[in-house]
Amino acid sequence: MNLDRYTFFTSDYQDYEFFSEGPKGRIKKVVKFMKAQDDPIIFNLAFGDEDPLTGNVSDVIITDNKDTDIVLATVANTVNSFCDHFGNHYIYVEGSTPSRTRLYQMSISRIFAEITTDFDVHGLKDDELYRFELNVNYEAFLVKRKIK
Amino acid sequence: MSTVKKAVYEKGFGKPVISNDVKDHANDPFFVEKLEKAKKALSKITFPESIKK
Repeated sequence: MNLDRYTFFTSDYQDYEFFSEGPKGRIKKVVKFMKAQDDPIIFNLAFGDEDPLTGNVSDVIITDNKDTDIVLATVANTVNSFCDHFGNHYIYVEGSTPSRTRLYQMSISRIFAEITTDFDVHGLKDDELYRFELNVNYEAFLVKRKIK
Repeated sequence: MSTVKKAVYEKGFGKPVISNDVKDHANDPFFVEKLEKAKKALSKITFPESIKK
């Protein structure tokens, strides 16, 4: 995957942090993987902004730091790092709202060719699993690193 | 870690920087809520046998 990304940090390969930099300043992003189910094994990927004052994480605020694709590419890098240490499991991603999920979808679509060199991407819609297609709206996503 | 500036690489996947400053958010309400929401959504999906154990 040949996409720009931010330097990212971890202590345990399940929790990651990096900093978005743009017109709105320097914003700490936090990514966490947590096991959601056993068969098939699926980990939930959640990420959001950490409030520098309270330390609370939220994904409700739209940062608008003009770096969405770099942020998404960095999150993809955390998936790769996670898989390096815990295996090529399915990773579930869902936005906090339909509009946020749609935002993720647009970013995935923009970098789809790059992502699919390394990951299988599926979309979830009406409780059904589909292979991801451009121009179809999904409610959530499942990605799995390809075995090479 | 606060002195680290943006570092963008052009090629390939990168390795993370190991930092003990990264907190474990296992008990963070935000992530706990996200996990429960994911479990609920996933419980409704019938996965093909081919991708099960």
